[in-house]
Amino acid sequence: MPSPSKRFDAIGAPWQIDTADPLDPEVFAAIQRRIEQFDRTYSRFRDDSLVSRIARTPGSYPFPPDAPPLFELYRRLYDATAGAMSPLVGRALEELGYDRTYSLQPTATRTRVPDWHEAISWNGSELTTLTPAVLDVGAAGKGYLVDLVAEVLAEHGVRSATVDASGDLLHRGDGELRVALEHPLDTSKAIGVVTVSNEAICASAPNRRAWAGLHHILDARTGLPTDRIIATWAIAPTALEADGLATALFFADPASLAEEFDCQWVRMLSTGRVEHSPGFTGELFL
Amino acid sequence: MRSLTDNKTAVALFAGVTLVGALSACSSTVTTADVGSAETTVPDATATGAEYTDGTYTESGNYTSPDGQEQVDVTLTLESNVITDVTVVGNGDNPSSKQFQGEFINGIAAEVVGKNIDELSVDKVAGSSLTSGGFNNAVDAIKADALAE
Repeated sequence: MPSPSKRFDAIGAPWQIDTADPLDPEVFAAIQRRIEQFDRTYSRFRDDSLVSRIARTPGSYPFPPDAPPLFELYRRLYDATAGAMSPLVGRALEELGYDRTYSLQPTATRTRVPDWHEAISWNGSELTTLTPAVLDVGAAGKGYLVDLVAEVLAEHGVRSATVDASGDLLHRGDGELRVALEHPLDTSKAIGVVTVSNEAICASAPNRRAWAGLHHILDARTGLPTDRIIATWAIAPTALEADGLATALFFADPASLAEEFDCQWVRMLSTGRVEHSPGFTGELFL
Repeated sequence: MRSLTDNKTAVALFAGVTLVGALSACSSTVTTADVGSAETTVPDATATGAEYTDGTYTESGNYTSPDGQEQVDVTLTLESNVITDVTVVGNGDNPSSKQFQGEFINGIAAEVVGKNIDELSVDKVAGSSLTSGGFNNAVDAIKADALAE
């Protein structure tokens, strides 16, 4: 069971990496470089990122080699949620106050979130934007970065590790993890427990990123926060998929997601009821 | 064939479906994996001493929802007084009916009772992302502004 832990903050959340042996400072430096590289591409919270440049000027932009899995997952989930989960909610989030400076002050403006085909086109290596599109990959980006950090670890020979980016957790290698599913309305409580091994579990809930009666999980079709689901969990082979699915579960019929993806899921409705996938291997405190 | 419910309210119908779930939950030979999360407040057939003929039974239940007439079809298989299979097919058209029928069809919707995480032996907790730095500061600043007003 990995025990020594490395804790740090990255992309707006606390991280923890557990490994059997203490993390070599050189490996940690490589991880930090990887995170910085990712952030410089995808963060809409920094002025010098690729995403911020795209938001200023429409055009064709080559993306780094890590981009295809992210855009492909977004496209699959966009289709599976009938357009509700979209990387084009960036401007709507800004208008609601979830912006670069965290103003958390909603403006009076509400711009319709454009449809995928109206705004962007992805050819596998290059993104072409037709309007100044504000991309937000927050629904799957952190999970993907967890996978990429695990890749850096593996490249340095660290194959047993748990990468926990707070809400997005990937286990690789020996052993297993018992994971509590945190109650979204009382974070001292769990609604269940599940064991994961060599897979990812990602959770999503609006409870910690809420302001002025709003939160950060938007339905692209309305441009507004969702309200029927209050927490989701997805277990999948990669954190990219699990993170994206955790968001998609706010919008989509879970059965159709389960057809498309190899996953387990749990979600809690605003009524307090809980649904789970037929094959859910964990225990729920019903 | 007796209808489970005729022209009753949605609540009454769903109570009926919950009964089906409870029966199967009490039985020892449940083969339908996706049923069984209902509360076990209803005694099973054996406990009441009733004898039922083995076979597969199908019933339709109708109810009036705020959006009009809705129907669900319930098929169950009985063997030696034990329900060994249950299928529920919903025919709701409006979104609320689809939601509620969907929850029952999957047999997966149930109230949860939280347990204290401190008292569970777990390695990790999966909840929404903790926030760090900027977001917390912004929320604090807004609270401070609100107090100052």
